[in-house]
Amino acid sequence: MSANIQEPSREQLLAMAYVDGELNEAERADFERELSARLDLRREVVQLRRLELLARHAAPAEPMDHEWRRLERDPLHRGSTLLGFAGLAVGAIGLAGYGAWSLWTSTMETTPKLLLGALCLGALLLFLATLRARLRTLPFDPYTEIER
Amino acid sequence: MILCTTDNVPGREIRETVGLVRGNTVRSRHLGRDISAGFKRLVGGEIEEYTKLLAESREQALDRMMAEARARGADAVVGLRFTSSEISAGSAEFVAYGTAVKLAH
Repeated sequence: MSANIQEPSREQLLAMAYVDGELNEAERADFERELSARLDLRREVVQLRRLELLARHAAPAEPMDHEWRRLERDPLHRGSTLLGFAGLAVGAIGLAGYGAWSLWTSTMETTPKLLLGALCLGALLLFLATLRARLRTLPFDPYTEIER
Repeated sequence: MILCTTDNVPGREIRETVGLVRGNTVRSRHLGRDISAGFKRLVGGEIEEYTKLLAESREQALDRMMAEARARGADAVVGLRFTSSEISAGSAEFVAYGTAVKLAH
């Protein structure tokens, strides 16, 4: 056994009790006030929640899992998947760009051209805003670790 | 927190019924996973992407239900049930609900 194992701090113990639902109403309210103000504490709680979910789901591996892991390492499988997704992405982006260029250089009147452009730009902005929100909240989503 | 699908907790006496507690969520996988799942539908077998999606939704709904039960001072949830439905293609709604109770100590 290593002598460098650190005892959890009072704050870590409080976070564990919070995740396990062991705090009383007043303690929970105090902790949640602290939680709303501190990013590091929110990260700590998410890590503990992940650990708790992992313990709850200590499901034994199935034979098929090993085969999936082997396939994930297989160069042919990895290569074809990567190339497949790359082809789809290049095709989709290329078609969108070609469509935009065709529209821009078409003989269509200016007003519907601008409206269609606004529609596409609006959809793109909404997508980017949604993607940004997801990327910001992803570290606080402990459920992504669950397999089955 | 004790969770039971039965109407009582075997060996324990229910002191007080707190009331209905529930938790729900709607989750989805990203487009890449949906594309992989679409191809798996063509060849058959388990679609792990959606197995994982349902499992994530189930646990989140369960956690939310337990959080509500804890907030209301309950010791256990009896008569626990799960229900799921599809809100839109590729997303899963999961609801966990039950009756929160306080047990005699």
